[in-house]
Amino acid sequence: MAGVDGSLSAAPPSPTQSLEKQFDVFKAQLEESGTLRERIRHVVSEIESTTRVMYASLLLVHQSRPTPELLEKAKSQIDVLKGKYNQLAEILGEHPGQYYRYHGDWRSETQTVVSLLTLMHWLETGSLLEHNDAQEKLGLNGPEFSLDIEDYLVGVCFMSNELPRYVVNQVTAGDYDCSRKVLKFLTDLHAAFRMLNLRNDFLRKKFDGMKYDLRKVEEVYYDVKIRGLSSNGESVGDQGIEG
Amino acid sequence: MLHSFPSSLHTHRVSLFMAASKPQRLFQRTDVQSSPKRARTMATATTTTTESAAMRDSFAKYAQYLNDLNEKRERVVKASRDVTMNSKKVIFQVRRMSKYNKLEVLEKAEKDLAAVRDQHISRLVRELQGTDFWKLRRAYSPGIQEYVEAATFCSFCTSGTLLKLDEINNTLLPLSDSSLRPLQINILDYLLGLADLTGELMRLAIGRISDGEIQFAEKICRFVRDIYRELTLVVPHMDDSSDMKIKMDVMLQSVMKIENACFSVHVRGSEYTGLLGSDDPNSFLVGVPDIEL
Repeated sequence: MAGVDGSLSAAPPSPTQSLEKQFDVFKAQLEESGTLRERIRHVVSEIESTTRVMYASLLLVHQSRPTPELLEKAKSQIDVLKGKYNQLAEILGEHPGQYYRYHGDWRSETQTVVSLLTLMHWLETGSLLEHNDAQEKLGLNGPEFSLDIEDYLVGVCFMSNELPRYVVNQVTAGDYDCSRKVLKFLTDLHAAFRMLNLRNDFLRKKFDGMKYDLRKVEEVYYDVKIRGLSSNGESVGDQGIEG
Repeated sequence: MLHSFPSSLHTHRVSLFMAASKPQRLFQRTDVQSSPKRARTMATATTTTTESAAMRDSFAKYAQYLNDLNEKRERVVKASRDVTMNSKKVIFQVRRMSKYNKLEVLEKAEKDLAAVRDQHISRLVRELQGTDFWKLRRAYSPGIQEYVEAATFCSFCTSGTLLKLDEINNTLLPLSDSSLRPLQINILDYLLGLADLTGELMRLAIGRISDGEIQFAEKICRFVRDIYRELTLVVPHMDDSSDMKIKMDVMLQSVMKIENACFSVHVRGSEYTGLLGSDDPNSFLVGVPDIEL
């Protein structure tokens, strides 16, 4: 071994030096991207705590609190989120084209944000918040930072996960018509999702889970209907679901 | 956050509700057929139909987006696979090198490498414009790593030095015209490819020793050690270093194998070359030092 070590020191210095130089550059560049990632994570952790506040106030829908009031409270957080996403967009604006390099750092938080926004929108209007509108709400329309469509779709799946619980609690509180409304919405949503050619990935798994939400809501609707609790005539309800 | 609810919770709630719902049934029945309510629900029913049409319209857009993305990803994967396959062929070609055919073997390898660029990597340039470069990285990364391995392997055998990332990227510049942003291999793929290079160099070093080219083997040994040492400083800063950490372990094994082989030759001297030389009939007759014959 000593001999080999000896020949190492005898090696011409220039290739080793240029090797070192390249790796020094790499190290500097990688450190820079590490710092960038830390800045991103800092903002994302603030986004996460904001969504927790929103979610906590939205959870009151299960306790049949008056919806408009509770929505006001949750909505007040949207501007906070907007500010945070603005910060993210600024940070990424300094590094054009690298959105997807750091995508993983805000992906799941953003999916949660979408699920909350779509849930709020649905509670308010009974319709689905579209991708463009969700993007608008978060103030994301710059070229370097937008809402990834797959993240949006996963967020919509998360939103659907919340609906069975909502229906159960609403019906318990006496809002029997709710089950029909939710069933109609989920049926449409499920049908719309089936238009997508999904790969065998996370979104596909989430979509596969949606049918269980649908089934639970169907069960609730069935229970309500078979006991004649539904406030409207049967034919209308059927039309509503099929149409 | 929403998805973290265990599904058992839901089923539990459903069954709880079903038990509780029965007593409520009687007194809620009173307003079943109130007509204003019926009118209202009919109205909502019609608005929701237009809503579901709107939903279908927007989902048609998402479907288009996903289809385009998947098709693009598929093309990138195919190109990447071709890059891998043909880069491997270059590596095989370089492996055929001995001290007698070095020039012609390396010349052909360089030519094949240029063909990989022109025929296959050029296909990636078009696909990976803008944000797609990072979005589809997982789809093309294996191919690029293999290409880096082949290019650096070839270059080491020719010049004895490390082919730098800038130099590789410069050879990719002619692939794009003025309308396209040139494809530039990122540091991460370069380093991952470099990690694989050491395995190839280990094989080469052992081959050279059995061929009697001890000096060359020692040169490889120094080179691989330098790379390993430099990489230990860089790897902790890499984006996703789990892959790389495994490669580092394998690399250390390769470095040690070369060191041990060099050690054996050093200690036992020329008696060893004769034994190993039987691996290749030509080298046994021609390459073995005179003392053995």
